[in-house]
Amino acid sequence: MSTALTEGKSRKKSAWKNALTVLLFVLPALIPLIIFWIYPILRSVWLSFTNWDFMTPDYDVVGLKNYISLLKDSRFYNALWNTVVFTAGTLVPTIAGGLGLALLLRKNFRGSGIFKFVLFSPWITPTVAISIVWTWIFKADGGIANIVLGFFGLPALKWINSSSTAMLSVIIVTVWKSLGYAMIFYLSALEKVPAELYEASSLDGAKPLRQFLDMTLPSISPTTFFLMIITMVNSLQAYDQIQILTQGGPSGSTRTLLYMYYQLGFQEFKMGEATAIAVIMIIITVLLSLIQFTASKKWVHY
Amino acid sequence: MKKITQKIGTVLKFAVLLLVSAFTAFPFLWMVLSALKTKAEVMDVSSLLPSSPQWSNFISVIFDSPLPGYIWDSLLVSVIIVALQVATGAMIAYAMVFLEFKGRNLLFIVVMGTYMLPVAATYIPAYIILSQWNLLNTLTGVVISSTVSIFGIFLLRQAFMQVPKGLVEAARMDGGGHFRILWEVVCPMTKSSFITFGLMSFISAYNNYMWPSLITNDSSKYLVSQGLRSFFIEGGAYGTEWALVMAGSSLIVIPLLILFAFTQKWFINGIGGDTGMKG
Repeated sequence: MSTALTEGKSRKKSAWKNALTVLLFVLPALIPLIIFWIYPILRSVWLSFTNWDFMTPDYDVVGLKNYISLLKDSRFYNALWNTVVFTAGTLVPTIAGGLGLALLLRKNFRGSGIFKFVLFSPWITPTVAISIVWTWIFKADGGIANIVLGFFGLPALKWINSSSTAMLSVIIVTVWKSLGYAMIFYLSALEKVPAELYEASSLDGAKPLRQFLDMTLPSISPTTFFLMIITMVNSLQAYDQIQILTQGGPSGSTRTLLYMYYQLGFQEFKMGEATAIAVIMIIITVLLSLIQFTASKKWVHY
Repeated sequence: MKKITQKIGTVLKFAVLLLVSAFTAFPFLWMVLSALKTKAEVMDVSSLLPSSPQWSNFISVIFDSPLPGYIWDSLLVSVIIVALQVATGAMIAYAMVFLEFKGRNLLFIVVMGTYMLPVAATYIPAYIILSQWNLLNTLTGVVISSTVSIFGIFLLRQAFMQVPKGLVEAARMDGGGHFRILWEVVCPMTKSSFITFGLMSFISAYNNYMWPSLITNDSSKYLVSQGLRSFFIEGGAYGTEWALVMAGSSLIVIPLLILFAFTQKWFINGIGGDTGMKG
């Protein structure tokens, strides 16, 4: 009986020790995660139902008022539309261009490493520094972008200074920055396409275009799927280039949801409405992932 | 006939690659060229190249502007953030892969759930927390709010799952503690993932702009991006001194490009999702 008791004790002791070890390994990451991620997200949801103005400590719960006033605000629809345009405008060229470049670079040849280096380099450089350079390139008078257009006999544009071309300018900078990133993903995806597939179909006399459509595209679809999600999430969160190039202007033409969130929260101190936008962004992200996830089951070949 | 089409194909391939690479590299070249021009040249549309390189632009940015101080602070902050993110990430990833405990799946779901969420949604409450702790306008505040990288947890977890469980169990049998196993068995086998994550974490800490700029408004506490922006804006009142601004940008961008030239393969392996146990 006494042995059973000590055994029970030692088992208890080792259970304690085990729990302690787990906490020791988990808490250093979990505590900051709770303080700076999980709690703030929940807190944002709560604040979106209040009229807090940041200056005064007191606030009232106002229910759905912030959401309703957003839904009545044309700025909000404008920002939502800008976000859609920006996302689509970035997504399509980034993914198509990234795939095109990867196809050109899939076989190593003399100099292919240099191409990869150059094409990927924008991704690692600070967006702020590089956006300042682009501001200089886009300068309406005497900027190199207009000189290039003039060289091809095209009329000069006002780029970031006109509401009709500002979004285009922001998209160009964003695509410029993320093209190499998509390319790298596709390069490693293409590497994994089994070579026998090609050999077999070449024997069957399949044309390269058929091969590409029937075999390559389906086998790299998980990468396409992943890149679509990542690009959308990144687009929803783009801030640096907008802040430097246009500050959301001219006349709101590049104000995305995130930028509106920044303006409402950190310039106008309307914390309720700002967090309401944050919640809407969270919902959009969750919906996008769900739609993509379900759709992908149909056409992604794992 | 077939040979000719093949040749044309190769020429076309090179033409496209050269064109896209030129477009990609151009802003960097234009930045450096503009940084070496005189005030007059930089505004003159017709001169593409500086007639004689004005190294004095760099000298004046290095000695008469606050940028070198911002670069130093950013390097310091980034190195500390990398150390913290690698340590916290490795430990929780170890627990998720090798330790048995209740709620392990829940932990994974919670961490995975936060991965996709827009980080900006946390900024207002996180700002309030830092202000309650009197950490606004401090570099400590920047560091403390960046101690965890969810991406890093994923990357390391992915790598750890490829370490044979039997190895860890054998080390346990030999009486090894979990810290020692993590350090002496798991780390060496997943070295490449650690290097990849360390580099990526460094780059994103060094390049980070939105969050640090929200929590610091004292110019002595700026990090590079915000410092460069204020350098750029301040000149604006008297007409931007583009040559100096470009010299400042070069000073911040070129070291990163050099770092990248030597570490390219780690980025490419890491991003390509190839985080197996090589090297």
